[in-house]
Amino acid sequence: MTAPVANVVLAALDPSAAARPVLDTALSVARITGGRVEAIHVSDRESETLKTLTERAVVPLRRVAGLVEPTVLTAMAAPDVVIAVIGARSTPSGRRPVGRTARRLLEQATKPVVVVPPDASAARTFTRLLMPLEGEAVSSRPVLDAFLPLLVGDVELFVLHVFTQATLPRMLDKPHYDLEILGREFIATHLPGASRIEMCTGPVGTRVAEMTEQHHIDLIVLTWSQDSSEGRAQVVQDVLARSPIPVMLLPVPSQPSTAADAVGAQ
Amino acid sequence: MSVPVGLEESFDAIIFDCDGPDLGDADADVDGLGQRVEALCNAGLHIFALSEKDGTALDRQLRARPGGPGRLHLCSSHGGEIFEVGEVGRRTPELNRPGVPNDSAIAGTTGPARVVDKSDLARYAAAWLAAAGITGQLILVVGDQFGPTGGVAGVDTLLLVDELSRARAVSVGTEPGGLPPGVVHLGGGLRGFLALLDAQLARRREQRVPQVDADPRWVIRLPQGHDEQRTAEALGTLGNGWAAVRACQEEDGPGSSPLFAVGGVYTEDDRLLAGPNWTALDLSREHGHHTDLRLLDLRTATLGRVRDGRQRFRSLRFVSADRFYALALRAEGLPDRLDPGDPLRPPPGASTFERTLEEGACLARTSSGSREIAMAGRDLVRDQPGCRVVERLAAWATGTTTGNRTATKEAQGRLEEMSSDGFDQMLARHRRAWAGRWADAEVVIEGGADADGDQLAARFAVFHLLAAASDQGEAAVGARGLSGEAYNGHVFWDADVFVLPALAAIRPQAARAMLEYRVRRLPAARAAATAKGLRGARFPWESATDGSDVTPRSVRDAHGRPIRIFTGSHEEHIVADVAWAAHRYSSWTGDTEFLNRGPGRDLLADTARYWASRIRLDADGSGHLYGVMGPDEYHQVVDDNAYTNVMARWNLRQAAHLLAAHPRDAEEIREATRWVALAEHLVDGWNPERGIYEQFAGYFDLEPLLVHQVAQPPVAIDVVLGPDRVAGSQLIKQADVLMLHHLIPDQVADGSLVACLRFYDPRTAHGSSLSPAITASLLARGDMADQALELFRLAARLDLDDVTATTAGGVHLATMGGVWQALAYGFLGLAAHGEDLVVDPRLPTAWSALTLHFRFRGRRMSVRATHERVTVSTDAPLGVRLGGHTRHPCTPPGVTIGLDPVGPADRNIT
Repeated sequence: MTAPVANVVLAALDPSAAARPVLDTALSVARITGGRVEAIHVSDRESETLKTLTERAVVPLRRVAGLVEPTVLTAMAAPDVVIAVIGARSTPSGRRPVGRTARRLLEQATKPVVVVPPDASAARTFTRLLMPLEGEAVSSRPVLDAFLPLLVGDVELFVLHVFTQATLPRMLDKPHYDLEILGREFIATHLPGASRIEMCTGPVGTRVAEMTEQHHIDLIVLTWSQDSSEGRAQVVQDVLARSPIPVMLLPVPSQPSTAADAVGAQ
Repeated sequence: MSVPVGLEESFDAIIFDCDGPDLGDADADVDGLGQRVEALCNAGLHIFALSEKDGTALDRQLRARPGGPGRLHLCSSHGGEIFEVGEVGRRTPELNRPGVPNDSAIAGTTGPARVVDKSDLARYAAAWLAAAGITGQLILVVGDQFGPTGGVAGVDTLLLVDELSRARAVSVGTEPGGLPPGVVHLGGGLRGFLALLDAQLARRREQRVPQVDADPRWVIRLPQGHDEQRTAEALGTLGNGWAAVRACQEEDGPGSSPLFAVGGVYTEDDRLLAGPNWTALDLSREHGHHTDLRLLDLRTATLGRVRDGRQRFRSLRFVSADRFYALALRAEGLPDRLDPGDPLRPPPGASTFERTLEEGACLARTSSGSREIAMAGRDLVRDQPGCRVVERLAAWATGTTTGNRTATKEAQGRLEEMSSDGFDQMLARHRRAWAGRWADAEVVIEGGADADGDQLAARFAVFHLLAAASDQGEAAVGARGLSGEAYNGHVFWDADVFVLPALAAIRPQAARAMLEYRVRRLPAARAAATAKGLRGARFPWESATDGSDVTPRSVRDAHGRPIRIFTGSHEEHIVADVAWAAHRYSSWTGDTEFLNRGPGRDLLADTARYWASRIRLDADGSGHLYGVMGPDEYHQVVDDNAYTNVMARWNLRQAAHLLAAHPRDAEEIREATRWVALAEHLVDGWNPERGIYEQFAGYFDLEPLLVHQVAQPPVAIDVVLGPDRVAGSQLIKQADVLMLHHLIPDQVADGSLVACLRFYDPRTAHGSSLSPAITASLLARGDMADQALELFRLAARLDLDDVTATTAGGVHLATMGGVWQALAYGFLGLAAHGEDLVVDPRLPTAWSALTLHFRFRGRRMSVRATHERVTVSTDAPLGVRLGGHTRHPCTPPGVTIGLDPVGPADRNIT
C-alpha cells in the first residue's frame, strides 16, 4: 500500500459570499504548489450554492457533520493535505481579521493556513509572494525550509525586513552600498532564492501594505507562533486586519514576538 | 617503524643534535645519514645539525653535500662556528661567524652574538628559520637525551629554547628517566631517526599538503557556520598587493561568492572585474559528523584546511608574494572523492568567459569592455594508495581585448616559469617574502590573554594592509580592497587618509604606488575642476579606472523614488585629503624629492589652486566654503565645515610653502603669496568662548541630542531616528572636527583636543566604520587610554566579529588602517619631526607593553613602550623626541628611555 501523495489544498467553505474567493485562492495556491484542491463543508445540510460552485471548478466537495473547528482540524490532519484555505468573515461594522472559529483553527493548525479576506479577488495565478521576515527567529527556518519546496510554480519571492533592535545595523558607511550587502546577506541567510528584498524601518503592517501595493503582491506569507493573546503576534493581526490579499500563516513553535521591537514601529 | 601521532606531518626544517649516545656515533657512510640529509635538503627542507664537535668533525660525521634549495647548517658550539654546506663543501666560517650578518637573502638576521652552548645555536636556527617564514610546528627538533639523568635535565633540553617552544620535539633515545612535557618519544636510536627522515622524504616525494603553523598568536580560524560562509571568504582573502582571491571553500557551490580580482582592473561600468575562479575542485561535500578547520596564517599568508570525517581532505593555497602573478593550491583527499575538474572556472555572473586547452594548460579569460583578466592554469594529479594529491598552479595577466590575446600568452608564459620552480619552492619563497613584509610591520601587544586577543586582531588588520597595495606602478586601493565586490573596488578617501599613512610606515613603496594612482589621475581631476568653472584639480569622491567621478548620483527608495546622493557633489574634502596623503608620505618616508620636484608637487599645488578658486570672500573679507559635506554625512550640505575649511587652509599653506621654496617661475611665488593670504582669511569654526570648533555654520543651533539618549553606540542612528531628525540634531556619524586633531594637530588651537573630545564624543554615533579607530587614537592622545582601548577593540574586531554585518562584501581596509594609526599615533604617540621621531606613549592599563616595527625615513625601526620606559631600536642614527620635547640621540642598535616623570633617563642598548 502506497502513502497518498501529499499535495491536497483543502478549501474550507461555507455558503457565504466568502466561498468563492476561498475556492479561487485554493485553486491559485494549488497551481503554485502543484497540488489539487479538495473542498470541505462542515454542516448538517447540503448547500446547493457550494455544490454548484465546486462543480464548476471541478473540485470535489465533501460535507461533514459536526462542529466546525474540530472537524476542519481533523480534515487538515489528513496526511495528503499540505495547506488549508479558510475565509475571514466580514461584519456589518466592517472588516474583522478573523472570526473566533478561524482564529482557533489558526492557533491549532499544524500546517500552513491561508486566510482569505472577504473582499479578496484572488489572482488566477499567483506570481509574487511577499515574505516579511524578522531575521532573528531561528525556529522559523525549518518551517520555511519545509514550505519553500512546495512552491513548484514560477513565482517571485519578495522579502520585507523591517529592522528590529536585534537586526538594526550598527554602522552604515554608505547606505546605498551597505544596504545592498545587508539585503544580499539577509536573503542568503534566511531565504535563498528570494528575488528581491526591501529593508526599512517603521510599522511592519504599514510597510507590508505599502510593499503589497507597490509590487502587486498576490500572497503574503508570514510565520507565526500561533499565540494571538494580548500583545502577541501584532504583525500577524495587523496584516490580517488590513490585507486586501490572501495571507498564508506558517505555524512555528512558540517564540517571542519581535514585532513590537521593530525600529520605528512607534 | 610507525610514526607517532604528531610526527606524520610534513616539516620544513629539522634541527637535530649530533651528539649523545644514539646519534653521536652515526657514520654517514655506514648509516646513510648524510645521504638522507642531502636528499631532504634537495627536497627543500632546511637542516640544522648542532654539535659540540668542531665544524670539521661535524662535517666529517655527516659528509653531506646538498645542492639545495634546502640549506644545511652545521652549527658547532665549539668556538661558535656556523657553516653552511653546499655542493662544493663548507662555506667559510667567516661568513657566518657570530654577530655577523649572514646570507644576504635573509635580511636582518645575524649569527648569534655569542655562543655558550647549544641553546644559542638553537636560537640562531630559530631566528634564521623565522626569517624564512618557518616557525613553530613547521620545525622538528630531534635529540636523544631530553629526559633527566641522575636528577639532571637532559642535555638536549638546551634545544628547547623559547623560540622553539611550538616546534615538534622528538627523542629517539631510550630516555629511561622519562621526557619533559611536549617531547614525543620515538626511540629506536639512530634507526628511529633515519626512519623519521625517511618518512619526511616520502611525504616530500608524494608532494603531500604542507601544514600551517597553528600558532594562536598568528592564526585566524575562519568561521564555518552556514550563515558565516561569505564572511569567512572575505576574512580569509589572500592577496599580494596586485591581486587577491577570496577564501571560498574548494567545493564552493550555492551560497559562495568566489572572487579573484586584480587591483585597478574594472568592468566597463566601473565594478571590479572578476577573473577566472582558480580555487574550485570537484570535491564531495561532507555531511556526517566531521570537523572542518580552515586556518588563515597571517604570518605566511597561507590558507590551510583540514577536514576530517569520512571524506578527509586537506589543502593549502597562497597568492605568491614572490612572483606577483603566481597562484598555487595543493590538495589531498580520497581518490574517489577528489577530482580536480576544470582548473579555471567562470566567476559567478561572468558575462564574458572563454576557456581553451592548449599544450596541457587551461587558458581562460574574463573581460568587460576593453579590459581583461587572462589566466593559465595546470593541474598535476598524483595518486597513491588511499590518497590523491592535486597540485594546481595558475598565473594571471591583464590586458586589453583590443590586443592580440597578449594577456593570455603572457599568462601562459608565466605559468611555464612557475612550473619550473614547482609548488614547494614557490611556497618557500612566498613564506620568506612575507617574513620580510612582517619584519617591517610586526605588532606585539603584551599583557595577558586579553592583550593576546588585541594582538591577534591588530595583526589581522596589518595582514590585510600588507596585502592591500602593490609596491610598484600604481595601486588603486578600494574601500574593501579586493576582498569582495562591495563598493565596487572604488577608491575613496579611505585610501588616502586611513590606509596610506600605515603603509608609508610598514610598506613605503606601496604607499608611493597609492599616490601614483592619484598622480596619474591628475588630468581627470583638473578636467573636473574646469568643468565646474574652477581651477586646479578636483579629485572625485569615488574613483575607479580613469579618475572620473563614479559616485552614484542617486538611489531608489522602497517606493521607487530617487534619493539624491550628495557625497559625489559635495564631499570635497577629498581634494585636501589627497594632498595630505602626499605630504604625509613624504614627511614620514623622507622621500622629499617626491614633493619638492617630483609628481607630489603637482598634487599639492593643483589641489591648492582648486581651493583658491573655490573659496568665496564675503564683504568683510572672510573666506568661506559654501555647500560642502564633511566626514559626518548625517549633515549633508552645509557651509564652512570645519574639517573641510581647515584642511583646505592647510593645503593652501603647504602648497604655498612648497612653491615658495622651489618656484618654477615668478608667478608661482606670487601665487603662493596669494594662497597664504587667502588661508588667513578662511573661517575655521573656532569658537573661543567654548574652546571648541563648531562643526559647521549653525551646528550649535541644532537640537542638542546625545547618542546615549537614543541608543548605545555604535549605531546607525539615522536608521533609528530617520535622516531628517538626525540632520536637525547635533548627532554625528563619525569624527569630523576631531579628524583635524588626528591629521593636522599642529593646525588646530592648542589644547582644543580634550575639549573637542568632551563635546563631540557623546554626540558621535560611530555609525561609520571609520570612526572608532580614529577616536581611539585621539582618546589615547587625550590621556584616556583605557577608554581608547574599548574603541580600539571595536575597530580591531570590526570584521572578525562582523560588527557591520557587511564583512561578507569585503573587509574594511580603512578601519584596518585606522587600527594601525591608533597603535602608532595614539598609543605610542609616534610622529615625524623632520628627521627626528617623536615618541609619546599612552598605554592602556590592560597592556604592559606595545611594540611596533616600521620604517621611518629610510630606517628600519621598532619602538617598544611599557608604562615605565621606551626602547627605540634602529639600524641608522636618528633623534628621538620623547613627548616631542627632549631630544635623545639614538644610534644603532637603539636607546632605552625611562618615562620617569621626574626626568627621562636614557641609555644605549647594548
